[in-house]
Amino acid sequence: MDKVVLGIESTAHTFGVGIVSSNPFEILADVRKTYKPKEGGILPREVASFFSSVAGNALAEALQQSGLKIGDIDAIAVALGPGMGPALRVGATVARTLSARYRKPLIPVNHAVAHIEIARALTGLKDPLVLYVSGGNTTVTTFVEGRYRVFGETQDIALGNLLDTFAREVGIAPPYIIEGMHAVDLCAENGEFLEEKIPYRVKGQDVSFSGILTAAIRLVKKGFKLSDVCFTLREVAFSAVIEVAERGLAHTEKKSFTLAGGVAASDILREKASLMADEHNVLFKPVPKKFAGDNGVMIALTGLLALSEGITIDVEKSFVKQRWRLDEVDIPWYPKIPQDL
Amino acid sequence: MVSENTSGPLAHISSMISSFPLIKRGAESEIRLGYYLGLKVIFKIRKRKSYMHPKLDIYLRKIRTKREAQTLVKALEAGAKVPRVIAIYPSLGLLILEYIEGMSLKEYLNRFGLDAELIKEAGRILALVHKAKIIHGDPTTSNYIVSKRGLYLLDFGLADLGQDVESRAVDLHLFRRALESTHSSLASKAFNIFKEGYSEVLGHEADRIIKRAEEIKLRGRYVESRRRSVWKDVGGGQ
Repeated sequence: MDKVVLGIESTAHTFGVGIVSSNPFEILADVRKTYKPKEGGILPREVASFFSSVAGNALAEALQQSGLKIGDIDAIAVALGPGMGPALRVGATVARTLSARYRKPLIPVNHAVAHIEIARALTGLKDPLVLYVSGGNTTVTTFVEGRYRVFGETQDIALGNLLDTFAREVGIAPPYIIEGMHAVDLCAENGEFLEEKIPYRVKGQDVSFSGILTAAIRLVKKGFKLSDVCFTLREVAFSAVIEVAERGLAHTEKKSFTLAGGVAASDILREKASLMADEHNVLFKPVPKKFAGDNGVMIALTGLLALSEGITIDVEKSFVKQRWRLDEVDIPWYPKIPQDL
Repeated sequence: MVSENTSGPLAHISSMISSFPLIKRGAESEIRLGYYLGLKVIFKIRKRKSYMHPKLDIYLRKIRTKREAQTLVKALEAGAKVPRVIAIYPSLGLLILEYIEGMSLKEYLNRFGLDAELIKEAGRILALVHKAKIIHGDPTTSNYIVSKRGLYLLDFGLADLGQDVESRAVDLHLFRRALESTHSSLASKAFNIFKEGYSEVLGHEADRIIKRAEEIKLRGRYVESRRRSVWKDVGGGQ
């Protein structure tokens, strides 16, 4: 083993610790502690206190899984943003402590970049167009001149947020995910398409979901069948993001396409993405479902890539950045993936 | 103008069109060059998207085809030089447009350098479109055509009705970014001439819009649009 990096993820609902090695690239540990609210949505303060209570065990479990000691780790990578401040600060504090205590270089990782890097690493697609969809992000992006450039994005709420908020408002969640399926997917089974009831908003290269959310909730209140509303909402929202990705492919002429982020685990979205890619003779491979959601492995492997370019940060300067945009990050290692190191 | 809603009797139109040569394929549509009622025309066909629910797909193709025709007709009525709408078949997602033969402004500038009168005319045309309460949505140098009959503005595929200062300013900004990304040496001079043409038509109304376009360049939006101009260059544009 060449280098071993431990990565910490704590931007939203999951406190994740991952350990990966280069040469050969291997995932040595993947521990996730996910906060699941009994009711309502995710409150940053509650998540932070949950994270604080599980962080120690998560670290110990990860080291145990890998069979390594902390001394065997070459560097600590941490997601410094974007995400919820209180949650981010827990991961950052743990990472800074490890870095300072054990004299390991600290590597700043952007959470969005990490979702893209794990998709590239695990699909082997080195230069894809990426549709990154999660609870907090909806972005069509690809690498151009040194950075992941945002081709299109949501003008308001993210795709995952739309699904979660709708599910909560109409009383079918929490839990949001049941046996790997989202509450809206379960509800949409046997649903039928309601014509012209939910607005479809693709403006140039951007999507907008807030109008969909309002309209869908109103339909339920008016007494439309819940399964029909779930089905239509999902149909409209998924079609819109795939259409923006389609425009991105036409403009950039990229030959491959991947899905990343938590919503990438959806079978329906994967199917739509695959159909679209086929129409354009583009190779489609989504991130494996297991690594679609937030995890520490993606932070660790992005840390590995960053470390290969000598990217580290001083502990004193390692502030969290709640609104750290994807396209603010230089990607000097591109098109390398961890297998190339 | 022909308008049809049934699909059965229209089958022969679809088969006729598919025999015409494809000259461009975008994310939205296929462009074919052929003949209709003896005229040399452009067939712009919005293709079926297999990833969409059929009802959503048909609905979107219909309203988008209609909206494109509607904005083109309004722009034409306002005196802007845009292709005439010859016929529209919303249920086929088909728009038949006057063929404007020529070279894109982008290519023209690359070959022959700055032509002040043409750039000014580009500004006038966009102003006329805005005067007709239309936002073009993609007024790059690739979408202007230099023909024997003068300059034309094409591709209203992303156009919409609207007259707010922000959207109009974004149109101006998109033109500037297109200049900067492909004709950087002459961009700032050309954009000044473009603004002259734009103001000529809109008068004092143009001042606020131009000012906003400058603000867009300076604020966060600048970064956003700057990224986007990259895309205009990488691929098709239709």
